[in-house]
Amino acid sequence: MSSLRNLLHARWMSSFVFLVLLFLITGLADPNFLTYTNVVNCFNTATMYTLLAIGIAFVIMTGEIDVSIGATLGITAAMTGLIAQQGGSIGRMLVVCVAVGAAVGLVNGVGVAFFGVPSLIFTLGTNGVIRGFIYIVTDGRTVENFGGDIAVYGNKVLFAEITLYYAIAVVLVAVAHIVLTRTKKGKYFIAVGDNLDGANLVGISVLRVKLLAYVLCGIFAGIAGYVFASKYRQVMTVAGNGYEMTAIAACVLGGVSLSGGLGNMVGAAIGAVIMSSISRLLVFIGLPSDFNNTITGVMLIIIVVVDALTQRRSIEMTRRKRLLSRTAGTAAEGGKR
Amino acid sequence: MSQPIDAGARLSVRSITKAFGSNVVLKGIDMDVQPGSVVALIGGNGAGKSTLVKIIMGIYTADSGEIYMEGKPCRLGKPAASLAAGIYLVPQEPMLFPNMTVEQNILMGIDENPISLRRRLNDLLGHLGWKLDLTRKAATLSIAEQQLVELLRGLMRDARLLILDEPTSSLTFNEVDSLFKIVRDLRAKGIGIIYITHRLTEVFDIADEVLIMRDGVITLSGPVKQFTREMLVAGLLPPDAQLRSAKAASHPVDYANTEPVLVVDKLTGYGFKDVSFKVYPGEILGLAGVVGAGRTELISTIFGRDKVLGGKVYLDGKDVTGHKTSQILREGINFVPEDRHYHGLFKIRSISSNTTSALLGTTEIGSVNMNRRKQNAIAQKYVDDFRTKIVSLEDLIGSLSGGNQQKVVIARALSTKPKVVILDEPTRGIDAAARSDVYRIIEQLKNAGVAVLMVSSDMEEVVELADRAITVYQGRINAEFLHEEITQDALTAASFGIVPGKGARQ
Repeated sequence: MSSLRNLLHARWMSSFVFLVLLFLITGLADPNFLTYTNVVNCFNTATMYTLLAIGIAFVIMTGEIDVSIGATLGITAAMTGLIAQQGGSIGRMLVVCVAVGAAVGLVNGVGVAFFGVPSLIFTLGTNGVIRGFIYIVTDGRTVENFGGDIAVYGNKVLFAEITLYYAIAVVLVAVAHIVLTRTKKGKYFIAVGDNLDGANLVGISVLRVKLLAYVLCGIFAGIAGYVFASKYRQVMTVAGNGYEMTAIAACVLGGVSLSGGLGNMVGAAIGAVIMSSISRLLVFIGLPSDFNNTITGVMLIIIVVVDALTQRRSIEMTRRKRLLSRTAGTAAEGGKR
Repeated sequence: MSQPIDAGARLSVRSITKAFGSNVVLKGIDMDVQPGSVVALIGGNGAGKSTLVKIIMGIYTADSGEIYMEGKPCRLGKPAASLAAGIYLVPQEPMLFPNMTVEQNILMGIDENPISLRRRLNDLLGHLGWKLDLTRKAATLSIAEQQLVELLRGLMRDARLLILDEPTSSLTFNEVDSLFKIVRDLRAKGIGIIYITHRLTEVFDIADEVLIMRDGVITLSGPVKQFTREMLVAGLLPPDAQLRSAKAASHPVDYANTEPVLVVDKLTGYGFKDVSFKVYPGEILGLAGVVGAGRTELISTIFGRDKVLGGKVYLDGKDVTGHKTSQILREGINFVPEDRHYHGLFKIRSISSNTTSALLGTTEIGSVNMNRRKQNAIAQKYVDDFRTKIVSLEDLIGSLSGGNQQKVVIARALSTKPKVVILDEPTRGIDAAARSDVYRIIEQLKNAGVAVLMVSSDMEEVVELADRAITVYQGRINAEFLHEEITQDALTAASFGIVPGKGARQ
């Protein structure tokens, strides 16, 4: 009973309801949207956003941000393509993607957690640096014409039209979710975002937690880069541009608070599906897909503003309650002099 | 110099020093806490109490000195090390994770198997006989409940030394009673407790030993039984305090034949209740009290920055209750904030722009096209009047010393020609030379017929300047002193909640 109530009150539940409503309303406009194939494709195309979203969710959970994940995806996708052109194995590609992603995350983590540079500024910097590296690695040319195993797996369907990559992404979501909510160290991410000084006071190493969050974020972006190369088999120098915004929006839509300490991985994954569905459903509603960015931008702003206002209100309420209780006891004590 | 280490003591602190920049906060602190005893740590604002307990908790690192836990030397320096040594600090404002449940809050950061941990928590709760819903979100707890959670956190870590930093400052009377029961209970279990407070009555209610700090040194310590309240108040005062008395008023105010300019009548807001006082033109009213007594909340509410819950504020007989800050400014009240850097200055603008920035809403310095000459003329006048040390009016204000910055902020407040000026801690962080300049400026204001409301926790300052003084204690005005009655001990005693029979008016 109580677990059912918990489920209904979970923060990601409202995102899930939103997703269902989105599908139903589009279905009213055009029943063709609600075919099995189309709905499953909304999920399948969310693979990369899902990976990026759960990675960055670790960082957002600690109260920071990372806008370099689009570039990290770009460079790891390009390197995957280059390895494929030389006939390298998938194992080698994955090792390179994870290593590059982890290295970028480490740099971001050191800059933000150790040197204390504001995270938006620092990761904007690394974003530029990585974008530059992509040109160096690829000589400024699109990486294409590669085949082998990676092309075979790109759109491989596992069962019931669900792709292999999306299935793996779902497994990773489940693992990340369990790590975050069930393990002791996982809860540290939430604790740091919820109350930084409080976390420090109970002996949590804030530095280490933030560093780890950035490394995990980089690794997920690296894996997303591999998926990009495998799916499209063509990596332009601008690959992944703007994906960081989509991933951040996915997290926020999924109930992960930008001020940290709130939200979970299931929500972020649902948010990713919402983001990938919007461009698809615009076509069914009859709007040009040019509206895509505008609509997601407006949604993002509305949610962030509402989130910030409720937070500010609750802080103000607790402050006032505390001040009121200060004067409440004086009358009683005044008589005791 | 320092005493030998008592191996039986829970905690021994020896010759701790700490400086922030050139400001020496702790000058060799020795302290012992025995098992099963409560040591009350009292002292005025800036005495160094918080710095000391933060060093013990590992939030700050001491510059020199040693800390021993149960006779063994400890190397602290981060909270994790202090926690491992069996020390737990319950901060003044509980530091919970608002979005987590009570249980998650208590168990966060403890490295142990979750099943045995939960069993231990239930055992502990049963043992203490406390009722607490472990599944509630921390954000929904009252302050008293949050403190229970903080205490449980410490006990779950087998803390043998608890530090309570002003635990009663946000509690109601009944809650204080039950907290005291808990503290006595913990003391009976052999836990050593450091109890920081601003209320002298509590020292006699709960403590076994008392320790008074002033300016980074311990001025008085020993078993509570040996002391009276008067002795504690004496320990809080500087050694030469008794010798100082208010100098003759330069321009005594004729209260009988003067109409007050600012009248505050039974004002209630967040953090203060039923506050009434009057300020007359040409007088300096000192508003004294310890941090957290409600002074800051009171004046920011009068200045229109928070909601009025009841009562009235009159300016020249006109009701200005609850007006917005911009309106209040126009009506003639100006405010020099406590924190210059945060509220007072536009740091990367020039001295001249800063002085005239309060006039931007008027047409005095031009509306669209700023009249640089007029700006400079106004700024120059105040620089001359206040003897502000500058090279050029175009220099950035950030290049000035603290005292000179403060002069510019006061000048700005005066440029609007206010009837009432509220000064919040006017000389905090200012060196002695500039301080006397600021005092002279405040005297000038008074002589010019401005009503000055001066908020200060520096009692010496109030004695030096004020024509009349009131003290705030727990959100209420508990005493009023006329000019000849203002002494440091009377003010200090009243700020700590002790009002002598005589001298209290109203």
